[in-house]
Amino acid sequence: MDTSSPAAFVNGALLRRYIGQKVRAVVQVIRSDIGSVTGKSTDDQQIVVKGSPPPSLTTFLEVIGIAESDNTIRADVWTNFGDNFDAGNYNELCKLANGEFRHMFI
Amino acid sequence: MAGKLTAGAIGKMLSGEVSTDKEMMPILQVTELKLIQQPRKNQDSMERYKLSLSDGIQSQEGILNTTLNLLVKQGKIQVGSVLRLTRFFSNNVQFRRIAIVLELEIIAEQCDIIGNPLPAQPPSMYANTGPVSRNEAPPTAVPIAALNPYQGRWTIKVRVTSKGELRRFNGARGEGKVFSFDLVDADGGEIRVTCFNDVVDRFFDVIVVGNVYLITKGNLKPARKEYNHLPNDYEIHLDNASTIQQCYEDDATIPRNQFHFKDIGAIESMESNSIIDVIGIVSSISPTGSIMRKNGTEAQKRALQLKDMSGRSVEVTMWGNFCNAEGERLQSLCDSGLFPVLAVKAGRISEFNGKQVSTIGSSQLVVEPDLPEARELRAWYEREGRNAPCISISREFSGAGRQEVRKVITQIKDENLGTSEKPDWITVSATISFMKVENFCYTACPIINGDRPCSKKVTNNGDGTWRCEKCDKCVDECDYKYILQLQLQDHTGVTWATAFQEAGEEIMGIPAKDLYYMKNEDRDEEKFEDIVRKAAFTKYIFKLKVKEETFSDESRVKATVVKAERLDYSSDTRSLLEAMNKLRTEDANPVTTNPESSNYRSGAFISGIGTSGTRETSSLDVPRSEFGLPAANQVNQFGNQHSNESRPLGGATLCDACGSNAHVFANCPSFLSEPQGQHTSSVYGNTTGRNAGGSMPRQHVGSY
Repeated sequence: MDTSSPAAFVNGALLRRYIGQKVRAVVQVIRSDIGSVTGKSTDDQQIVVKGSPPPSLTTFLEVIGIAESDNTIRADVWTNFGDNFDAGNYNELCKLANGEFRHMFI
Repeated sequence: MAGKLTAGAIGKMLSGEVSTDKEMMPILQVTELKLIQQPRKNQDSMERYKLSLSDGIQSQEGILNTTLNLLVKQGKIQVGSVLRLTRFFSNNVQFRRIAIVLELEIIAEQCDIIGNPLPAQPPSMYANTGPVSRNEAPPTAVPIAALNPYQGRWTIKVRVTSKGELRRFNGARGEGKVFSFDLVDADGGEIRVTCFNDVVDRFFDVIVVGNVYLITKGNLKPARKEYNHLPNDYEIHLDNASTIQQCYEDDATIPRNQFHFKDIGAIESMESNSIIDVIGIVSSISPTGSIMRKNGTEAQKRALQLKDMSGRSVEVTMWGNFCNAEGERLQSLCDSGLFPVLAVKAGRISEFNGKQVSTIGSSQLVVEPDLPEARELRAWYEREGRNAPCISISREFSGAGRQEVRKVITQIKDENLGTSEKPDWITVSATISFMKVENFCYTACPIINGDRPCSKKVTNNGDGTWRCEKCDKCVDECDYKYILQLQLQDHTGVTWATAFQEAGEEIMGIPAKDLYYMKNEDRDEEKFEDIVRKAAFTKYIFKLKVKEETFSDESRVKATVVKAERLDYSSDTRSLLEAMNKLRTEDANPVTTNPESSNYRSGAFISGIGTSGTRETSSLDVPRSEFGLPAANQVNQFGNQHSNESRPLGGATLCDACGSNAHVFANCPSFLSEPQGQHTSSVYGNTTGRNAGGSMPRQHVGSY
């Protein structure tokens, strides 16, 4: 994976800003199939994550990869975030990291 | 001269063509004026003026509303006065037409009698008590203000604003039941209705708060002021002849609530147990707590601070259901930074560490009411109220219930915490960066002294027994208690603190005795180190007691860890987000810097924001990048992009000078000679203006 550019924190709404670029997002797993996982972003939008998910998934999952469309990510890195996760706080983080404080992140 | 009066008006009123001011506002002259006294049980008799109104041709009898009595007493209304009736109602009583005058305009106070009016009806005395006319009830509704005991047949169109509980009682005539409900009409008049026994059965299920009803034919009795707090001298008692009919079409002219607001500042001088309405901005709200009542039942209560334009704030306590319904809504509004307007109707003033307002059974809470007062408050708040100083007339508990005062570590030194007479109690969010492992515990006396073990250090007698000086006894086995020297670090600085038994156990996760054995007896170095390592470099919320202590001419500020809690990232993050929001919205409303304000140190400061900025300007030598904060908590990394302000977080009416809850900063005894800056009572959104160059400890006025 190309590690030269940092991955932008995104939620459902912000994903479309980074199409073609590296993003990271935490999703709540709704459904998992071979080759993709359907998840709910921290702002309650549906995101499809393509790639090879790990065999066992916890409720929350962080994925890092390239944004393919405004609701799809092709993920290279999958990390289980456990079952307890404060989605609200993460959502705020996404908003701040892409808004007021983006100079600190990207 | 006859042109002055509305000729023919009386004729029209007598014939029924004109029955209210909606049809006409006639100009009439007073040709007779008489005072009637209505005796009332246990209360002063009520005065009412009866008069004859003429249009130059005929005259008719009328009654003045008691609110107009003053005008008669002042002589503004006399025989001969020319008046325009702006609000009145002409009613049929016992075959006579009576005009009930609610509002009028005085055209001329003195005037010769115009024309030669013929009284339309032979004048007669009113009965002083006991109404009941035999006529039809008026087809249109009368205003509540027009109700009086002389007329038994009336109809009112009203909305129910509150409904009381069904209560049973045992009286002389056996068991009975009663319930009451309050009404408001389109003119804003209010009156309470009470039903007894059979009448309760008829109406209890019919009455629903918020609905509009047509109610007819009740008895007017004097209001019982101990129970009835409405501004009406009468109350209605319904009987079997009364009827209640629901209006399915809502009437928008009838308000939902009628308030008579008092300023929060006025509450201070009001008597305990009086009932008032109040409106203000909710500046903070605490979560629901439950307390045990004397009779063993649990009660839910929830406190909030309400502030208004009088510059005062008061604690409002909600009981019972209010905690959940309105309480939750208020909490979420406050959490998201929109401090709502709350109107309280019929709150009781109580005295307990200052004055407070509590809800009672018949209270009502309205969040964000659609009232002009609410809009005024909102505008004031946006303009200046948010940052305006506010004195709380409710002082907090002293002792128990100490609120969190969040600080960052450098503040301990910079603000000279602990140097005043009393110790400072603060909360910091920090990591243990170092732990002295050599003497992490001491041998303690286990003898129970009162309800606690003595815990004084015992000396080894050499033979395996231990002697305690305080208890003057020897024991075979001693306790081991923690005395951990810790180095606490956050992104601003480092400090040493000592943790004793309870805090020590929380941090290490293992009793002191076990750890001692592990190290000294079992010599299990590896396990020991493991435990130490686990405890260090974890983030906690520490409650510290900071006090300056003097040891043989040398004074040092020592910090004791009173409580150590693992940091709950989720809630801490949320508080930080809130703090940021607050900071942002305050940036949008800049307040002029006031050098006086530098004396003020309000409730809690946000760790990481504001003060760190201050530190930078005063050349702090510890760069933030060194601090090992967990990367996940990225929100912590900000801080100084914004101004050099300190913002209160969490609530407190802590006296900032000495940490006590018994008084506020302004009244702190340790502090009286200094210029008093602005000060707030609690919380969210109450802050002072910007401090010039940073948060100022009181000793450092102007030093930055």
